[in-house]
Amino acid sequence: MLTLNHFLVLGAVLFCIGLYGALSKHNAIAVLMGIEIMLNAVNVTMVGFAFFNTARPWSTYLTGQIFAIFIITVAAAEAAVALAMIISIYRKRSTVDVSEINMMKW
Amino acid sequence: MALYQYSWLILLSPLFAFAVIIFGTRMWDLATRQRVAAAAGHEEIAEAEEESDIHLMHEKGPRGEDIVFEDIEDPKVPRLTPGARISGYISVLIMGLACIYSWILLLNTAGVLSIAPALPSQGISLTQVSFGWCQNSFCQGLSSYYIGFHLDNLAIAMMVVVTSVSLLVQFYSQGYMENSAGYARFFSYLTLFAFSMLMIVFAENFLVIFIGWELVGLSSYLLIGFWSNKRAKPEEDRLSPASASIEAFITNRVGDVGFIIGIMILFANTGTFNFSQLATAVTHMDKAVLTTAMILVFCGAIGKSAQVPLQVWLPPAMEGPTPVSALIHAATMVAAGVYMVARTFPLFAAAGPAAFQVVAWVGGITAIFAASIALVQTDFKRVLAFSTISQLGYMFVGLGIAGTVYGPGPGMFHLFTHAFFKALLFLGAGSVLHALHHAMHREVQDMRLMGGLASKMPVTAITWLIAVLAISGFPFFSGFFSKDTIIGLAYDHGNYALYVITLLTSGLTAFYMLRAYILAFGGKGGGWGGLWGGAYRGEGEPHESPLTITIPLVLLAIASIAAGYWFGFFSYIQPSAPNLVFSNILSDWKTWLSVAVSLAGLAWAYTLYTRVDLARINAVVQGNATLRVLYRILLRKFYVDDLYDLLIRYVVLGISHIEQAFDTYIVDGLVNGVARLVTFLGRDVRKVETGRVQAYMVGFFGGIAVLAILIFALVAFVK
Repeated sequence: MLTLNHFLVLGAVLFCIGLYGALSKHNAIAVLMGIEIMLNAVNVTMVGFAFFNTARPWSTYLTGQIFAIFIITVAAAEAAVALAMIISIYRKRSTVDVSEINMMKW
Repeated sequence: MALYQYSWLILLSPLFAFAVIIFGTRMWDLATRQRVAAAAGHEEIAEAEEESDIHLMHEKGPRGEDIVFEDIEDPKVPRLTPGARISGYISVLIMGLACIYSWILLLNTAGVLSIAPALPSQGISLTQVSFGWCQNSFCQGLSSYYIGFHLDNLAIAMMVVVTSVSLLVQFYSQGYMENSAGYARFFSYLTLFAFSMLMIVFAENFLVIFIGWELVGLSSYLLIGFWSNKRAKPEEDRLSPASASIEAFITNRVGDVGFIIGIMILFANTGTFNFSQLATAVTHMDKAVLTTAMILVFCGAIGKSAQVPLQVWLPPAMEGPTPVSALIHAATMVAAGVYMVARTFPLFAAAGPAAFQVVAWVGGITAIFAASIALVQTDFKRVLAFSTISQLGYMFVGLGIAGTVYGPGPGMFHLFTHAFFKALLFLGAGSVLHALHHAMHREVQDMRLMGGLASKMPVTAITWLIAVLAISGFPFFSGFFSKDTIIGLAYDHGNYALYVITLLTSGLTAFYMLRAYILAFGGKGGGWGGLWGGAYRGEGEPHESPLTITIPLVLLAIASIAAGYWFGFFSYIQPSAPNLVFSNILSDWKTWLSVAVSLAGLAWAYTLYTRVDLARINAVVQGNATLRVLYRILLRKFYVDDLYDLLIRYVVLGISHIEQAFDTYIVDGLVNGVARLVTFLGRDVRKVETGRVQAYMVGFFGGIAVLAILIFALVAFVK
């Protein structure tokens, strides 16, 4: 029997994996992938909460789901922009190592 | 009523003349001025000064050094340009028209002419030029803020004084200022001065009177400092005109603080600035508050009319050109204070008796204070300055003791007569200075360098003698009627202390005025027992001044005698007041007592200065210890100026230094300290900005983790 807790634990595990990836990877693509995983972790949580909403059944109250769809859309756009930037940076500096992309410092 | 409704033309015509001169003829003057080349090698300087009409005179000194002259004549303006001359003509012409109009108003309201019915006693509003500052429906409570003008008998009497004296002074200035730089500018200032004073005269409410009040201060500042390139003369105890003008302005500002606070108290309690509305509204005010407010309003008059303790600005104001002194002393500047008290007379009457007591006592103390200082002054114009202060004291005594039956009549009557003979005294003095300037080629005001001028300049001498007799209260001259009325009223109203003070002052006045006359025009060995001519102590050969100077003198001399014979003045100003009756004056013992005191003063001055040499008098004074100390105190003006000097030097500047230290160390220290702290912190903290995006993410998520733990702890343990 699936309960809300299953979804929340899944979301938390996914979020932590994504966070680890975003923080520890040197490759910008990998960082981007980490971020995508975090976004999807949030989506899972969102849909889980919406589905197990006892005050209002999910069939009449779709806020969580619609939110998730919006996040997917935004994530797609964001991925496109981020990849474009990464390509542009690669062309200029021949690297996608985020620890070397640090011109905007003190 | 059209005659009255268009009287605002009198107010606006000097402003019109001012605009025409400033934007028209003065520009023409500046553009067409022909210049004589200055001393060789000074072309650059001459070029630098091309744009302004203030000129310094440059010359080689005995050792080849540059000397900057402190003279008032400009060698580079040998002749007046048409633009300058026309500036003078315009101002005289326009002021002449305004003067004729105001005389018609006066003669009509006094019942001599009958062009229009007399004015109602409360006067009329001149609605054509009134202007509300906020008139639509948004500003319901602001309807009291408006520029309003008003005409009544008091205003007409004052207007006649202002326009007549201004006219004569402007006519006179055409001769007196002929060789002075900035001739056109001078006339524009004179018209501005007349306009400012007329604004006070026509004012319907406190706001307008305050605007006029400040404009008068501004124009006197401009005119006193007119010869701005003149230097101070410490050996004669004379300031430079520039400092004198600043002193006049600042001293007036001290009084104005009280004035504006008084106006604000009145407005806060009644909600109106209008004089006639205030007169009824103040009856519901708390008596103590009203009395305080009126005393504060009187502070403004103390400053403007140079009463004790703010009298210090008037003697240095003598540094301005002499026609300006005449204008300031007779009609425009100092008369403003007296006129303002007369205008607000109903408010003073509604206040407690303390208000009038303050007015009368300030006046009385000033009268004797200034008169005693004038006894020993040797500067020709400074004697007149102190006599003005003293006579203004009389006016305030007149206003303070008159009571509601007489109204402002006695004080205003003295103002009216005084305006003519004081203008005459100053213009006569100017005539003497003008002649001496041409004789000695330098500025001479010291009476010890004059003497015996009567035979050289008879018109000036005879008119001056008339003015001396008028101010001394000699029988049947104008001062006799106006001054003795005030002295008599002090007795009639039971104020015996003020009676004695004013009586003594009239003796002192007679003494110092005749002293000044004899020192300048007479002397030992002259005709008429020393009154007419005598030994001349200066250099050169002075001559009688030109007609532009002597015509105003003669006209003013006639007015100095005739002005006193307007016996209906009191009821003209206030219908309920009793009039002067000639036979009553003659049969009253008080009249003859004050005449006796005046005659004693005149006789003492006559015997002292026509029978004894000046050097001998000085020797006697210096030889006697008491007299020497007394002389010293009077010469130093009771050390009031020195006291103020010390006060400002040590107390005011001391406080300023403390405040400056507070500003430098505390305020600036705080500001700079904060900046320094931030810089210091930033130097290390900026290392946090590594430019590596993952470091930021650690901070971001780490922060969220910390917050989450914190909230979890709060929820778990606080509950």
